Amino acid sequence: MPTIDQISESLFRETISRAVQDVFKTMLGKTATLDQTTESVVTEGAPWDHPVQITGQQVVGTVGFIGDISGLIYLYLEASFANDVASHMLGMSAAELEEAGDEVVNDAVGELTNMTVGTFKNQLADKGFPCKLTIPSILRGSNFSIEPISSATRRIYRFRIGEHQLVADLLMKTGDA
Amino acid sequence: MRYKILTVDDSKTVRIIVKKAFKTFDCDILEAANGVEGLASASKEAPDLILLDITMPVMDGVEMLTKLKSDPALKAIPVIMLTAEGGRDNVLKIAKIGVRDYIVKPFKEEMLIEKCGRILDLKPLNEGPQKAKSIFDPATILVVEDKPAIIQQIQEGLKHTPWKIHGVNTTGEGIDFCSKNTPDLIIISLSLPEEAAFTLFRLIRQNVKTKYTPIFALVVKTEMAAQQQAQQVGFSYIVTKPIEVPELESKIAKAMNLDTSQRYFTLDGDIFVMRLPENTSQTVVGEVLNYLKPKISEAVDTGIVKAVIDLHELKGLNMAVIKLLITAMQTCKDLALQFTLVGNTQIVSECKGFEDTRNWQFHESLADAKASFGRTPSQAQPAVA
Repeated sequence: MPTIDQISESLFRETISRAVQDVFKTMLGKTATLDQTTESVVTEGAPWDHPVQITGQQVVGTVGFIGDISGLIYLYLEASFANDVASHMLGMSAAELEEAGDEVVNDAVGELTNMTVGTFKNQLADKGFPCKLTIPSILRGSNFSIEPISSATRRIYRFRIGEHQLVADLLMKTGDA
Repeated sequence: MRYKILTVDDSKTVRIIVKKAFKTFDCDILEAANGVEGLASASKEAPDLILLDITMPVMDGVEMLTKLKSDPALKAIPVIMLTAEGGRDNVLKIAKIGVRDYIVKPFKEEMLIEKCGRILDLKPLNEGPQKAKSIFDPATILVVEDKPAIIQQIQEGLKHTPWKIHGVNTTGEGIDFCSKNTPDLIIISLSLPEEAAFTLFRLIRQNVKTKYTPIFALVVKTEMAAQQQAQQVGFSYIVTKPIEVPELESKIAKAMNLDTSQRYFTLDGDIFVMRLPENTSQTVVGEVLNYLKPKISEAVDTGIVKAVIDLHELKGLNMAVIKLLITAMQTCKDLALQFTLVGNTQIVSECKGFEDTRNWQFHESLADAKASFGRTPSQAQPAVA
């Protein structure tokens, strides 16, 4: 049986890139390009020296995967980008979206995250790491940082989508799952 | 029959996308946010198809599917999985429980329609109430023909119509065009190499969007075998080369179910005008006869009391035209519509030659005819004893 250590950095990068690109192309007709990668870090309790750098209001979607490999992915979208994504996916004008409220935007970002993490983990499942998705949840806020438990490996990928930025924060449980 | 499609997904976003995708089709979308709601709705509404997500709170999609398939009343409802849970082994395991298709998110709306269209005979919905399009409305006609001269001939011949004739030379371009546009009518040349016309016909019919689009076959008059084959396959109409453009135009109008009445019947102020064209063929007579009574009644209904039958463009008379005119005049009389005739010298003189038409009296122009209504009714009415 393959172990998680056998998954190379480049495979993680390709897998997450393909997932983000596929979802944004299919659902929104947008092209995503990987801008920057911060590769595998296990801090063993020391403070993170590279938290996700964010500015302004954020809408963050998160979906986990549990099975032969376990972990979760946070997708960070600036609030204006989140609105943009929701109005595109739902075919609503900015005014209609305003009327529908933040809940609808949250749901759209949740679904976008669900699809992205699904595409990511389905590729890994086909490589011998079956796992299941969890139900999405959403965080909203500004000026915050998420710090996972010390035994997690963290990888951060920054994508450029038009004039917007998308950050994918991949946290994996290390060792035997 | 209006189909019912049940979408079971905890994401409102997905349910909205599904609703949006089916908006232009004749079906109702029912929604449920988890497996429990989904089962309840399935029992109550008996949907024709279920779109099922997997990861949901309360009851997930796999459990709902298992329960559905073990219920004799529900197990026949076709299910398409629509979920981000993919992966070969997973898909195989779920497929074994009994699903008709498996769509892994992300998905395009067209793909969803296409897969559902393989299970349900989805019909595109005409926007708003069934209003017949008129001959003056724009329409898109796709011509797939490997000989540019023929495309040009059709474009030239129909250039007086508001129709946009889009010509392509290969089936590939034809399919490409159909995926990006929804033509109102398609003309395919049977001379395309290697029976490509029939392959294209099948592909167009398989696409939900163009399932009911009229498709004409274009074939040389003497090629009887090809014509027969086209008829068997189900082409809406066979156009023979050399192309007779007026005939083609009238067949297109008929196939698109266009209201051609405005060609012959118009309102000029408070006067109802029936106009016959220069070449009033048998087809035209048939068309005019179809519209005649409803159109005159409609005019009378709106308060019109005067009518002009305008024959100044007409080249000559024949029995069909005379019969049509007699019917028209009789209809006017029945509805107490005051009417008069306009004709050119040729028509006036031809009328003298027939027993039925000998006493008809004509005005020289529409203006004269309209002015005549100002006088007493007895003067305005030509003698039609």
